[in-house]
Formats: sequence, structure tokens, C-alpha cells
Amino acid sequence: MDNTLFALQNWPPGLIMIIAAFAVPYIPHVARQAWMLAAIALSAYGLTTGAGLHLVWHVMGLELQLYRADSLSFPFAVIFHIAAALNVIFSAHDKKWQEHMASLSYAGAAIAALHAGDLITLFIWWEATAVTSVFLILSAGTDSAYRAAMRYLLIQVTSGVLLLAGAAILASVSGSVVFTKMEFGGADNLGVWLIFIAFGIKAAFPFLNGWLQDAYPEATPTGTVALSAFTTKLAIYALARGFPGTDMLIWIGAAMTALPVFFAVIENDLRRVLAFSLNNQLGFMVVAVGIGSELAINGAVAHAFVHIIYKALLFMSMGAVLHQVGTIKASALGGLYRQMPFTMVCCIIGAMSISAFPLFSGFVAKSLTMSALGDAGIVWAYMVLLFASAGVLEHSGIKIPYFAFFAHESSHKTTEAPINMRVAMGIAAALCIGIGVYPDPLYGILPNPIAYHPYDASHVAGQMQLLIFAMLAFVVLVRLKLYPPEIPSVVLNSDWFYRRLAPAILRPVLNGVFAFWGVFSGGVLALWSNGLDRLEQIMHSPITGPVVPGRAVMIQALLLAVILGIGYVLAS
Amino acid sequence: MNASNDKKQMTEKPTQAPLALLGQRFTYFLVAVAVLLVVGEFLIHRHGEFAFEDMYFFPAIYGFLAFLFIVQVGKILRRLIMRNEDYYDG
Repeated sequence: MDNTLFALQNWPPGLIMIIAAFAVPYIPHVARQAWMLAAIALSAYGLTTGAGLHLVWHVMGLELQLYRADSLSFPFAVIFHIAAALNVIFSAHDKKWQEHMASLSYAGAAIAALHAGDLITLFIWWEATAVTSVFLILSAGTDSAYRAAMRYLLIQVTSGVLLLAGAAILASVSGSVVFTKMEFGGADNLGVWLIFIAFGIKAAFPFLNGWLQDAYPEATPTGTVALSAFTTKLAIYALARGFPGTDMLIWIGAAMTALPVFFAVIENDLRRVLAFSLNNQLGFMVVAVGIGSELAINGAVAHAFVHIIYKALLFMSMGAVLHQVGTIKASALGGLYRQMPFTMVCCIIGAMSISAFPLFSGFVAKSLTMSALGDAGIVWAYMVLLFASAGVLEHSGIKIPYFAFFAHESSHKTTEAPINMRVAMGIAAALCIGIGVYPDPLYGILPNPIAYHPYDASHVAGQMQLLIFAMLAFVVLVRLKLYPPEIPSVVLNSDWFYRRLAPAILRPVLNGVFAFWGVFSGGVLALWSNGLDRLEQIMHSPITGPVVPGRAVMIQALLLAVILGIGYVLAS
Repeated sequence: MNASNDKKQMTEKPTQAPLALLGQRFTYFLVAVAVLLVVGEFLIHRHGEFAFEDMYFFPAIYGFLAFLFIVQVGKILRRLIMRNEDYYDG
């Protein structure tokens, strides 16, 4: 029964979650969460099938590998299942089925994409993540969310189309669409570039990143948590599979770590701050993929793993604040440590994890990438990432908890978040500390064998110096009232190019085209109706006598012309 | 002053002090840790990935300056790319 759908263990993981999602609307509220957790557990059980090629279909001469598992897909699959389960718990208070269905099928599509062994299968799941996740943004129900969702969908689908076009070129050149390491500069160079850009859009490369900060903060409090986990990390996985050791990625990744830092400082929407922070974190992973050594790939995967947890935790804590208070604008928040102490503690644990404090999960993962950079001897990138580490501390480590829970006394009358939100945050926080204190299980599932010890006195002391003195800088700035205050505002980002610049240029052009078309079509229509009148005349006037009507002659003449035309084409 | 009035005062004018106190305690804590790190710098033989990291207090100075730089650039950036909240509406 090998390689058939009849054996459950050959089902691509995630597929079962998508199928289960179709039943979600018909299951009552509380049972629904249990159903979804069961589907996730069953999908996770499928991972026990182990490494190898488990389901292959031959379609139109192409080998489609629907289920391929190996040491690279496995750690991503584990963390995607954990994130999906956390999300089910975090959103358990939501009685409507729409979002649950969207997030379960979204997670399923992302997990299935990890196990796609060829580019066509990858494309299908790549697009499936786009069309399922867009509902998490639409669910917010606001006009701005609707428009952001449409922009998001356009960008995501564009990424998929580029991927498919690239795959088609690869297939036509080499006859194979197997998803493996790709090289620039071959006969299929154009195809490789298209795929690279498709991955780059979802990985939020500089100038391709606008959709991330545009769309994620528009989603519902629970939707953003799901969004933060899957799409971008799927792209990191795809880059690690397709483009490890591509030098260009070191430059791109370094820019990604540094640039969002400055935007995050001045952004007022705290979930948008986290979206910039997410972009910065992806930069670390992209740099690691660019280095491409065994240690570096381990670093990228470990970083993605812990990042999904602490980023979800941070988005959960801000989602809880938004859910309770109704706003997430820094200028309207502050002082919530009284009303939401548990959320505050969880948020700080997430903040310390992402800032890579020793004993928290970020530290044991980021160290791998930094060591790999040291081994590769790339000083400038090392300095940029060290700088970006201070940046992470600024926006995620300090700004998020400070402006939400402290800053000034609260004017909001609110209470702690619902119990299910607290449970999800508690589990995520425990994982952040657990992995930080005892990283060996995480190191054990990384793609390459590893003997790494993050906790030596020198390393801990260096990291603590960096973080503590950066925090002292913050305290000094706040005490001297030099820290920039929160201002209700929007910060322009690369989405400005298609939201403002392109329309500003294209609208006059389009107006011109339409005006021209109006004149032109008016003229053509006049000619056309004139011509029809003439034709009518000819049709109804007999040519050869009263017996044969003109219409029949015209039809015969036309038919003859067509036949002659076809004959001519065939003959030549 | 009756009890309800008392309660009202508690909820309405809550505690400028505790938040300020919290901030003060945090500052002290931070300074204490910083002092420990400064002392530790002379006790631990610290070595980084690159030779320049082995300079005394390199991470501390780099972190402190990087933070000031980020905030300063942020302030400049505000003048360039910050718009009203309704910028994209309509």
C-alpha cells in the first residue's frame, strides 16, 4: 500500500487539518476547540512516519512529491503544530466559526507546504496559505481591514504566480520540479530568480515587506497571532531549502535586521511595532541562511522555532490588551500593569526572550547565528546584527511592555484577559523559559548535528553588558525626557509605493487612457453602426435574382473565405 | 469624609506614586546589575567572536551608543515619514 492515500500515515501532515476545517462550521462552540485540537494532534501524529518520500503522484509527466519529510522540514513542522494548538487555545473564547475555520486550514496549508517535495505542490499550498489567511484579516470587519486584506491578497497571490512561473521555467529547462537547492546563473536563471523573488516577498525582504506591516496589525486580536506564525517562517524554510549559502542573502538579511528598527521606534500602533520587529527577526534568519554553514542553518531553524513562540506570545499579550481595552495605540495606553498583571508578566517574558536575555529562548537560538557569523569571519554583518540586537531590545524588549503596561497611569477601566487567553500565554511563556534554560531538546531536532554550549561565562557577560547598558540608555533618555513621546500617527513604509506613489502616477495616465478610449470608441461605434446599416442593406438586397437571398450568398462567401484561409495556413 | 468618598478618591486619583516608585526601583535594580557587570568585566576573561570584542566594556559601550543612535535616527525619521493618522483614508 505504499505511496497511496489509503494509508493514513502517507497523508501529508496538515492535510487532515484542512479537511477537519470543513467540519468546523457545523460543530458547536466548545466542542469545536476540542475537534480542532484533535485534528492538530492527528496531523502531528503523522510526523511519526519519519523522514522519506511518502506520497508521490505522477501527473502529466511531472513527479509530484506530496509528502516528503526530512531533517529540515521536521523542526518547522513541530513548531507549526505547536503554534496551531496555541492559537486554538488563545481564540477559544470566540464563538463564531469563521476565524477558527480560517486559522485551522491556514495552519494546515502551511504544514502541508513544508512537506511539498516539488515546486508545483509547494505552489498549491503556498497559494492556499494566502487565501485562507486573508479571512483572518477580513474578520476584523473594519473598512481599513478590508482594504488591507485585498492588498495582502494581491501581494501574496503575486508571490504564488511568480513561484509557478519560475517552476514552469525550471520544468521546461531541466524537466524536473523537485524542490531542492537552486543555483543562479544556469540555463534556468530566470526561473531561479522568479522563485527567489517569490520567496522574498513572503519573507518580507526590504521593499517587498510593505504587506506585512500593512496587513498583520489590521487583523483581529486572535488573527494576528496565527498570521505571525506561519507565512513568513514558511518562506524562511523555503529559503533554507532552496538558497542556503547564497551570499546575497547576507546583505538582504542584514538590511532586514537594521531598517525596521528605526520604523519601530516611531510607530504608534503596538501591533505594528511587533510587525516591524517580526521583520527584523526574519533578517537574522535570512542572514543565517545566507551563511549556509551547518551551524548557520541550525541557527536559522532554531531562531525560527523559538521566534514563533515568543512572537506569538508578544502578539497574544497585545491581542489580550486590544481585546480588553479596545485599542492598541501606544498614545492611548499605559498603566495596565494594575489591571492586567498576568498579561504584563507574560509580555515581559516574551520581551526578554526576543531580546535574547540569558535563560530565555532567544539567547540559545541567536547565539548560533552569531557564532556562525564569527566562524565565517564576516565582521560587518556581525556588527550590524549586534546593532540590531540593541534595536530588538528597544522596540520589543522595552517599548512594547513599557507603553502598554507602564509609561503613565491608566485611564482604562478593564480587567484581566479571558482565562483561555491566559492559559495560551502561560504555555507560551513556559516554553520561552523552558527552551532558554534547557535548550538540548531543541538542539536535538535541528537539521545538522550540533555540540553547542551557549552558557559560558564570557558569552553571558557580553550579552548582559549589551542589553543592560542599552536599557540604561533608555532610562537616561526617559529621565531626561528625551525619549520620543507617543504620537497618534501613521509611519510610511514600502507599501507607500503602491498605496500612494503608483496611484499618483498611474491615475493621470489611466484618466488619459480612458479619455482617449471614450473619444476613440465613440468614433469606432459610429463607424460600426454605419457599417452595420450598409451590411443590412446588402443582406436584404438580392444579388442574382429574386430566388437567392443576399444573406445566403454572404454566408457562403464568408465560409469560403474562412476555408481558404485555413487551407492556406495549413499548406504553408 | 465618608467611605464612598474615600473609595472614589482611590479609584479616581490612583496612585501617581506607585508607578513612579516602580520606575525608581527598576532604575536602582538596573544600576545595581550594571555595577555587577562592570565588576565582572575585570573578573571574567571575556572573549567574543572577533578580537575587537575583547576590548574592555565593548558590548556595554556598543549597546549604549546603539540605543542612543536608534532613538536619534527615529526622531529624524519622524520628520520625514510620519503622517497624520488619516493619511491613507480617502
